[in-house]
Amino acid sequence: MQLAQAVTPPSWLTAASGWVALGFLAFLGLAILYYIFTERIDLSGLISEPNGDASMSRFQLLVFTFVIAASLFLIIASGSPPSFPQAIPQGVLILLGISSSSYLVSKGIQFSSPQGVSARSPQVTIKGTSDTTTAGGKTIQFKAEVFGLTNDAVDWSLDPPTNMGTIDTNGLYTPPPASPQAPRPTGKVTVKATSTEDTTVSDTATITLI
Amino acid sequence: MVKFVVWGTLLFIGALAACVLTQLLTGGINTRHLLYGRTVRGRAYFSPERVQLLLFTAWVALSYLLQAVEKRSSGELPDIPSTTLALLGGSHALYLGGKAYSMLFKKIPKGEQ
Repeated sequence: MQLAQAVTPPSWLTAASGWVALGFLAFLGLAILYYIFTERIDLSGLISEPNGDASMSRFQLLVFTFVIAASLFLIIASGSPPSFPQAIPQGVLILLGISSSSYLVSKGIQFSSPQGVSARSPQVTIKGTSDTTTAGGKTIQFKAEVFGLTNDAVDWSLDPPTNMGTIDTNGLYTPPPASPQAPRPTGKVTVKATSTEDTTVSDTATITLI
Repeated sequence: MVKFVVWGTLLFIGALAACVLTQLLTGGINTRHLLYGRTVRGRAYFSPERVQLLLFTAWVALSYLLQAVEKRSSGELPDIPSTTLALLGGSHALYLGGKAYSMLFKKIPKGEQ
């Protein structure tokens, strides 16, 4: 029984296949560049985290990927004839390992914290020790928790602004003095804390004067 | 044909890098808070550990690229000295440690909770 002989394709077919593959890859490369140039491929979030901040770990991975890829192809292209290096140095592999694992660990930290994944808008939250007092009675200490802004400072104000007590810059509310000659003021007072960094961000709390 | 493929790929990487660099410089790619971290309460703070990582990355990347250009005719990729790798590893550890501390472990001062 005669074994089937290996069929060698004609050289013109090999060359033609090579050129077709090359043409396809060149077309693909040009299409990618064209889409990036015309902004149909959106690169705006290339190094962004889910919360909208730019990521240092993504940035360093991008830099090292470009540098090693460009260096590799530069070395290949400079050979005569062009040839792939005999070996990839261990140092380069370690560098890529450090870069990639740092990126992965960074993602792990990012996704372990709610602040890392959600684009929560800035907010001020008021917390008070009590919500009722009387004229001439106890003071109430308010605190404002600021989230998502660089500056923690807030401005304190009251509504109505007069005759219903005062609030100082530290959020300490002092009720109006009790006077035997005048009727004791009662009703509701609104305490407002407004961020000094972003005046559109505020919170309110209500005190009842009884 | 091989030479054409290799130079074409190199050109593609160069063009891609130029696109990314242009968009980074013109604001097309978001770089907001690149050098800032986030605390447990979501507050942005200037982060020295990110600055040092940026400097180390730029230093290692540039020196490697220059070495590759210089030794391109050798036909081999230049190696990276172990001291440089140790420094870069330390830089990354500092960055990750700072990030983990601020995002996961940093205590909120009493009374602000």
